[in-house]
Amino acid sequence: MKVANPLLPQPATIIDIIQETGDVKTFRVVLDDPDAMAAWRHRPGQTAMVSVFGVGEAMFCLASSPTSRDWIEFSIRRAGKVTTAIHQLEPGAKIGVRGPYGNSFPVEAMRGNDLLVIGGGIGLAPLRPLVNFMIAPENRKDYGNIEIIYGARSYGDLCYKEEVFRTWPETPGVTVWTTIDAPEEGWEGHVGFVPAYVAEIKPAPENKFVAICGPPVMIKFTLKELEKLGFKEEQIYTTLEMRMKCGIGKCGRCNIGAKFVCRDGPVFNLAALKELPPEY
Amino acid sequence: MVLKLLKKERLLSFLERLMQKFLLVAPVREGNLTVYRPVKAAAEVAVDAPKSVVPPKEWFFPQTEEIYRYATSKENLVLEENVLAPPAVLFGVRPCDLRSFQVLDAVFLQEPADRYYAARRENTLLIGMSCNTACPECFCTAYGISPLKGTGADIHLTDIGTAYLVEALTPKGEEIVLQDPEFYEEKVAGIDEALRAKEQALTAEFAVQVAVTDLPAKMAALFNHPYWEELSRRCLGCGICTYVCPTCHCFDITDENRGNTGKRLRCWDACLFRDYTLHTSGHNPRHALHQRLRNRFFHKLKYNLDRYGIEGCVGCGRCVALCPVNIDIREVIATVRGLQV
Repeated sequence: MKVANPLLPQPATIIDIIQETGDVKTFRVVLDDPDAMAAWRHRPGQTAMVSVFGVGEAMFCLASSPTSRDWIEFSIRRAGKVTTAIHQLEPGAKIGVRGPYGNSFPVEAMRGNDLLVIGGGIGLAPLRPLVNFMIAPENRKDYGNIEIIYGARSYGDLCYKEEVFRTWPETPGVTVWTTIDAPEEGWEGHVGFVPAYVAEIKPAPENKFVAICGPPVMIKFTLKELEKLGFKEEQIYTTLEMRMKCGIGKCGRCNIGAKFVCRDGPVFNLAALKELPPEY
Repeated sequence: MVLKLLKKERLLSFLERLMQKFLLVAPVREGNLTVYRPVKAAAEVAVDAPKSVVPPKEWFFPQTEEIYRYATSKENLVLEENVLAPPAVLFGVRPCDLRSFQVLDAVFLQEPADRYYAARRENTLLIGMSCNTACPECFCTAYGISPLKGTGADIHLTDIGTAYLVEALTPKGEEIVLQDPEFYEEKVAGIDEALRAKEQALTAEFAVQVAVTDLPAKMAALFNHPYWEELSRRCLGCGICTYVCPTCHCFDITDENRGNTGKRLRCWDACLFRDYTLHTSGHNPRHALHQRLRNRFFHKLKYNLDRYGIEGCVGCGRCVALCPVNIDIREVIATVRGLQV
């Protein structure tokens, strides 16, 4: 009998690469074993380990919709050793994938409620599966209105433009607000930082969950605005990043107190997060 | 449980008999160090050697281990898993180290179980050995460990003068003992009293008596106490305490590459190293040494208990003996218990 080895990745192939911004690419990936691909299931907010053999392995959030059966996607910013190596790959390249890992956004608890999504830059990547899960035809009736506030430094730094400017706004019950940090030629939309835009839009807190991800400074100031608007810590969910090696609670390094981000996270609500030492 | 006596002069035959079926991993002397290694001859075994410097966890969780090989080409990727788990006997494990395997089991055998650790654990018969002397750094009894008890072993030996008391504690252990009745003699009267007296004498030799009552709750209240920064001023961040710790389980995974083929390796890592938690972005959740040192003590004395229901320290004292700047976990425990919240 073959015993499962959780550290052994699945061989996989990059089938498409979408240049999202200057330094972010989305990699569309298919597991080479058709049975493994057919059996793949992930929930919004979960992560997976990606291997570039000879360079190393790193953890990324799954950026594709949980309802996608034919491929999975990772949106990766070029920043370190592994991400730089991934950025050099072409369609057809072989990588390794293992996962999915971690908990997810509480899509069961969110049923019957509205959702406010707040993203900054590539921080939209872990929130994208949540939106796409909720607007999938089989799930849409289970969820209320979806408000999405998304900002980036410039127009060029906004990811998923097709969805942000077309698919999502055209979906009934979904409203999208976009903003960029500074004025630029050709941009007629909102200019300003995300926290200020949230204060301007004034989303109502009733029967609503919030999912927020972006640069720490954006999160920090946005939370202050949300608090002013009457949102409670229990309503607000975010997803944490940590350096990880195993993804399955053994290598040790993603601990915050007695919690491991790889297993007990990456999604935490703010009330739970405040119980932990400030080591994230 | 099967109880027998094994005369000391028969120990060599006992080990040789085991070697017919198993790879024997046992304490041997290398220079002035005791280490656990596979042996070629039973005579190599350092039966009366002092406690090993590097704990026997090395057998289940090696310092460096090849976990698989990869070969890549444009069209193909081949991964070849490398799980080495020969039928083995790990001999001469001290009671503190026996407990450490329970601590490591909680981590590595929790689903999804670590395939490498689990396979070796499954295929290894554990033979414990009671302590004959107390080292100055020992404090196992703080965690309810007796230096004379083989909890967790399949077979446990205790030196009672001219013979070893042999306790077969599991069905696997009983099978080994019962297959060679000619090796043993029946247990004689009066041994229990002798053991109790020996246990008392050993424990009394402990240089420092340590109590851990209420420690986790106390620590929780002292997370932000300046004590951790004061303590860290003499810490070098060298990580030797983690290297010799029988319960430390942190690891790194790296590739050793040669052209289109290579090995993926797993190596011990330490939470005291600066880049251990360093993000690619440059952000580091535990950028300061006192945060890292505090994390280590919290892990040993609180987090492990919170997470797995078993203490992360076994009182072996190796970190006490090896720390180049004399940071002493017994002193940390006493100080923390005495601090005002």
